Amino acid sequence: MQQEIQEKGYAHPEALVTTEWVAEHLGDENVRIVESDEDVLLYDIGHIPNAVKIDWVEDLNDPLMRDYLDPEHFAQLMSEKGITPDTTVVFYGDKNNWWATYALWVFRLFGHDNVRVMDGGRVKWEAEGREMTQVVPTFPRTEYPVPERDDAKIRAFKEDVERHLEKNGPLVDVRSPLEYSGELLHMPDYPQEGALRGGHIPGAANVPWAQAVREDGTFKSAEELREIYEGKAGLSEDQDVIAYCRIGERSSHTWFVLSYLLGYDNVKNYDGSWTEWGNSVRAPIER
Amino acid sequence: MDRNSRIEVLVDHVKNPRCKGVLDGADVVMPGGSPECGGSVVVYLRGDAKGGIEEVSFTGEGDTISMGATSMILEKVQKEKLTPEEVLAFDYEKFVDDIGREIVGSRTRNATLGLSTLKAAVRKYQREARPALKEKPASFH
Repeated sequence: MQQEIQEKGYAHPEALVTTEWVAEHLGDENVRIVESDEDVLLYDIGHIPNAVKIDWVEDLNDPLMRDYLDPEHFAQLMSEKGITPDTTVVFYGDKNNWWATYALWVFRLFGHDNVRVMDGGRVKWEAEGREMTQVVPTFPRTEYPVPERDDAKIRAFKEDVERHLEKNGPLVDVRSPLEYSGELLHMPDYPQEGALRGGHIPGAANVPWAQAVREDGTFKSAEELREIYEGKAGLSEDQDVIAYCRIGERSSHTWFVLSYLLGYDNVKNYDGSWTEWGNSVRAPIER
Repeated sequence: MDRNSRIEVLVDHVKNPRCKGVLDGADVVMPGGSPECGGSVVVYLRGDAKGGIEEVSFTGEGDTISMGATSMILEKVQKEKLTPEEVLAFDYEKFVDDIGREIVGSRTRNATLGLSTLKAAVRKYQREARPALKEKPASFH
């Protein structure tokens, strides 16, 4: 039933697979299904048979420095999960695939481009009454050559955003309206995870990330997405776009939508996001 | 208790939350957390005539750790009739140990969301609503 996805008119429909497609490929040795959630215990409670878990905190972050894991550790992680450079990796997760797209984005930094997202994520799989298990699969370790990490194409650093601002380049802030307006600086009781200043990067449009998703967890059609990102937010596919949020996780979802579903060639995710910008001395802010 | 048993305890608290719901006549209503990250709760606290805690409850949504742990700590307060002072002295690290450090992992913030919000509610209660403190004038020596 990949037809459902074809009909939604995406630029890269191959980036999505249906729950039915996944059900038919549970034992496919060329496919590795990866669950990546915000709720870190969901995988233990039950997951798609043969799916492995990748946790964005424990597995994808550098344990000390604010950065992602290094190429050696990525290769090691791939080996442990039974993934080769040729494996088709299908991500799914909770919260409308928010964390699944984040994991996918990190895979792309390491040049693992054979990646897909299961449209509808975990919630759709469960709603359809499909099989879940608590059995954690084991796969033979693979030989995964240490890749080069390329941060240039899809990742933006603060200096990139500053240069982008000088050119009046389009930015999309995918946080909630209260975060965008500066009324919400951080979570109560956790000021260390917030920012000293509230507001948004000057000129950024506000499109909360979840607007890209329907109630059943599947992505909206290309036409609906264009109405949101182009009709309302004023973006266009010939522009260089930078997306950001608080730490770069929600904006990876928007990066996926713009890059794969609408076919924008130059979209970057600014993972430093508001926790960097809102704490930086003399960084310009708009409210 | 092994890992799976600890997860089962949390899941049971999520499926059958204790002390869940809006508390009528609450002296303090204290929000905490973020729906965008880990979870958010509102803790309700009603004091008794002596400045102690008569009842607590919570509403909210979030992941298994944050919701399960919130239900666990409020049930403990209710069952063991903890005083405001005991709640404020309740150690975050000990609570994480009670839940299971191996399942909480790096999500200690989620695990302590309910406890930190409860402590904030108690502090507000002591500041603004506690009858025994309000009636008793401060003494100076």
